[in-house]
Amino acid sequence: MAGLLAATTSMAATREGQAALPAFATAVEMHKAMVYSIAWQLLHDRLAADEIAQDVFLQLHKNWARIQSPAHMVFWLRRVATHRAIDAARKRKTQAETSLEETDEPTVLERVHDSFLASYLKRMVASLPEKQRSVIVLRYQEEMELEEIAKVLDMNVSTVKTQIGRALDLLRGKVSRKLGRGTDNDAI
Amino acid sequence: MTPFEEELKQALKRQEPAADFTARVLARCAQEDAKARSGFWHVFWTAPAWRLSAVAAALLLVAGGTAYQQHEREVRGMAAKRQLILAMRIAGTKLQEVQQRVQESIEVAQ
Repeated sequence: MAGLLAATTSMAATREGQAALPAFATAVEMHKAMVYSIAWQLLHDRLAADEIAQDVFLQLHKNWARIQSPAHMVFWLRRVATHRAIDAARKRKTQAETSLEETDEPTVLERVHDSFLASYLKRMVASLPEKQRSVIVLRYQEEMELEEIAKVLDMNVSTVKTQIGRALDLLRGKVSRKLGRGTDNDAI
Repeated sequence: MTPFEEELKQALKRQEPAADFTARVLARCAQEDAKARSGFWHVFWTAPAWRLSAVAAALLLVAGGTAYQQHEREVRGMAAKRQLILAMRIAGTKLQEVQQRVQESIEVAQ
């Protein structure tokens, strides 16, 4: 929190230009996991995610004067990271090559422990279509509200809700079929 | 949130990038700053001689423009003055002629 306040103070002090490095370094330290994870979950490529996260922070450095508050910074970072990762995924077209049905089955060992379910779910999320993957990552990794997701992705709230519903149905169906687990009805 | 959503949340926990991530970002920012500082416009505006020359040229342009406008106003004023003097001369001549004719008429009548 102290770091956040320091970053905010410095942000106001450097309105006219690029970020003052100490304040900017604090911001990078605070938000690097968020930015990197968004890119990683959307691309499933550590090098690409690292590169995109770096680009996002470089862009933040250039646009430092436009950032109005810590909350605005978080919103800005999520938005830029998500859009950049989606663009990168589109360019690479890797997702188109892997459909949900084609994703590897979990091994017998993977059924033993819940941590394996987590890894299985990650792969399932990675195989979702771009829109569904984005909303799922923002909803369950970033724990964002539907309205926030809609703003970040330039969508209607109802579209976000629909996409989450469809993605959950797909994921639940796959998990229940392959792991023999019961499904539950999700309230978004 | 349902148990399935909780599992999803657990699966999608944030991950830390490599330990040197911040250092690499800061290095790239410093590199970009250095590149921007060596750009033409940055050098132009930060070099005192160039900056002074640019300001002097701008002042010269403004002064020149003002002087030209002033000159134009004076030329128009002189032309108007000349026209006025000519008009007054013509009017004076005509008045003199009329006065002369009136005087002649009075003398004839007497």
